[in-house]
Amino acid sequence: MLHIYNTNLCMCSAHKLSYSLGADLHKCGLAVSSRGTDPILVDLLKKMNRNMEVITRKLDKLIELQRSPSGPMLRPGVSLPDDMPLDVTTLLTLPDHLRKSALALSTLREATATDLSKETGRVRAVESDYLNQLVSMGLVRKKRKGRDVYFYVET
Amino acid sequence: MGKTFAFHSYKGGTGKTSLVVNLGATYAKQGANVCILDFDFRAPSLNVLFKAKPQFWLNDYLEEKCGMIDTLVDQSERLGLRGKFWVGFANPSLEALKDIMSKDRKWEVRALSKTLSGKKEILKEKLVDYLIYDTSPGAQYSSINALAGADLVSLVMKADEFDLEGTKELAKGVYEALGRKSGIVLNKIPLEQIAAAGGKEKFGKQIEAEVGLPLVGMIPCMCELMAFGGKSIYAIEKPEHIFSRSVGEIAETLKGM
Repeated sequence: MLHIYNTNLCMCSAHKLSYSLGADLHKCGLAVSSRGTDPILVDLLKKMNRNMEVITRKLDKLIELQRSPSGPMLRPGVSLPDDMPLDVTTLLTLPDHLRKSALALSTLREATATDLSKETGRVRAVESDYLNQLVSMGLVRKKRKGRDVYFYVET
Repeated sequence: MGKTFAFHSYKGGTGKTSLVVNLGATYAKQGANVCILDFDFRAPSLNVLFKAKPQFWLNDYLEEKCGMIDTLVDQSERLGLRGKFWVGFANPSLEALKDIMSKDRKWEVRALSKTLSGKKEILKEKLVDYLIYDTSPGAQYSSINALAGADLVSLVMKADEFDLEGTKELAKGVYEALGRKSGIVLNKIPLEQIAAAGGKEKFGKQIEAEVGLPLVGMIPCMCELMAFGGKSIYAIEKPEHIFSRSVGEIAETLKGM
């Protein structure tokens, strides 16, 4: 059985998780090179290890964001973990100009850049640019309906 | 377009609900159309004061079981107010409290969207002059959703060290980050504390400097208010009381902010 004891995700580097997992594998005598070990168990542990690697990558990304010189604020060009929803805690980390667009889109649920520009009072081209930045950050999605492009928050 | 205020605090028991009800009643007495919403889903209390059993709770609205307008109950006639006084209630049942605590982030994304579109619906459909949110203390999702929809956030605090330190964190981490105009309401302040600081004005300046937000108003500590909490609306029943007059001053300050 694997145990990861008292791992403080905020304080430690996510690499510690991988190290901890490797050490536990050795302790149990279940390393990939182990002799005569149950192959199903080894497969299971390999899968768990792969999952842990995905988690550590995501955590490293979040820790990097947290430690960036501009603080925990999200910036365009930074893509977020796939499952990061546009809830109010994410909004708190956005710069003012993008937060205004994101809030307006949350109000309308689904909108074109033109709809949103009426809501925010900014010109359509600016809104379109900000919405596409939010799309590239993974916070907003877009779809085409005829000739119009609709932006929406996935709920 | 009406104004939207949210009353929030770091800790519970700072007097947000009394303030929201009395502030709303003050505006409605003046003839304004007011709507107050109980966004304190973890400890709903407006239903106690108004003895209401609405057809729909605000919880139902967030669950998309009804429209925002369906949750509102007009109390103006019963209270003898000149303007309309709409109230939206949160469900106080244990089942509803447990349900709200089990929500995940995906649900909170929808809740934010519903909160923002609900505000728009109220201001448009009911021609409300003042929409006021009463929120849960601390960084609860429902509270921050309401703050995100407000034009102005009033932070209600007592002037003890617990409140002061937590309030400073909220001001920096939430209000500033949301880019909302904010101010402080000092409540339940012992007269001795004001005297020790050299008077009301000096005391106010001291708190403003510490928290980094402007002072909206100050209400002294009054034991009788605690005894009548949840029973009376002082702004209606005792308009000359110092509490009602303090709330009146806050109402005027908020109008100008």
